Amino acid sequence: MIKSNTVAVGLGVLGVVLIIAAVLYAVGILQLFSSGSGNHYKHAILCVVLAVASFVGANFARPRTV
Amino acid sequence: MTFGQALFMGLLQGASELFPVSSLGHAVLVPSLLHWSFKQSDPSFVPFLVLLHLGTATALLVIYRDQWIAIIRGFFTAAIRGEMRTDTERLAMLLLVGTIPAAVLGVFLESRIKSLFASPYAAATFLVVNGVLMLGFEQLRRRREPPAESRVEQEEHFARAERISFVAAAIVGACQALAFLPGISRSGITIGGGLIAGLRHQEAARFSFLLATPVILGAGIVEVPQLFGSGIPIGQYVAAAVLSGLAAYASARFLLRYFRSGRLDPYGLYCIVAGLVSLALLRFGL
Repeated sequence: MIKSNTVAVGLGVLGVVLIIAAVLYAVGILQLFSSGSGNHYKHAILCVVLAVASFVGANFARPRTV
Repeated sequence: MTFGQALFMGLLQGASELFPVSSLGHAVLVPSLLHWSFKQSDPSFVPFLVLLHLGTATALLVIYRDQWIAIIRGFFTAAIRGEMRTDTERLAMLLLVGTIPAAVLGVFLESRIKSLFASPYAAATFLVVNGVLMLGFEQLRRRREPPAESRVEQEEHFARAERISFVAAAIVGACQALAFLPGISRSGITIGGGLIAGLRHQEAARFSFLLATPVILGAGIVEVPQLFGSGIPIGQYVAAAVLSGLAAYASARFLLRYFRSGRLDPYGLYCIVAGLVSLALLRFGL
């Protein structure tokens, strides 16, 4: 995995965006890529999973000082 | 749906979910060939399938309970440390990477693809395609196998699941989306993908089953609220789910033993024959 502060910060920001998207899907404000209106719990759960993956990726990409 | 039909469907789903022969294809084809009158578009059919899938996922969790505890522990350890130091930690990350494409494609494409191809003719045709794919995977694999005294020795030249590359894990995971087509087997596609990626047959099956567990379990849990709808014969459905779990448990045990030296060929031939016979039966209305 690429060790870079830029990549780590980028993945961290992506994780935060995905958490916000998850909340918006869960309360029914965000309708992007969904069929019909209402709460989209599947999309919300997916966003949470992707956010977790982003945060894990960010931690892996973070350069370490020995 | 009668109680007997529910139990039969539970047994069929549990057995065919892990065998590389497409449970969805069988769930579409068999009731149609038997001229059963229940409609799969009925609102009570989705909760039924949800419970059957939860039965299958429970069986997989029971079989791999020790490994899942180690995988979950390994995931958190590696995620917090930001580094993989053991094979289990690597396997945990491989499963995460493999699950993401399947989950993304599942949420955005599953219902659209299933509604497009939910006919017995499509299921029978894709079953033939699935069979050809299984035979194709084995042909590609044979080219890379060294001559050896026995199949077990031949298999030892290939890798364990923990050694698959991250790109290969993502591709194998994404291939699970093909199983939204009724007739294409999720386990068949992922085992085949594992073979191409250089895994032993038994390890490809183990990786396939581990990869399937969060997807099947997640899809089931998300649909759980539908179980509390009115007019659903929950007792019948739970009995069918238990039968599905028992069938899945027996299937997984059999397949893990079988793939020590066995190949996908018999399942490929079965799919081709079953698909062609089904097409003929459907065509002539027998």
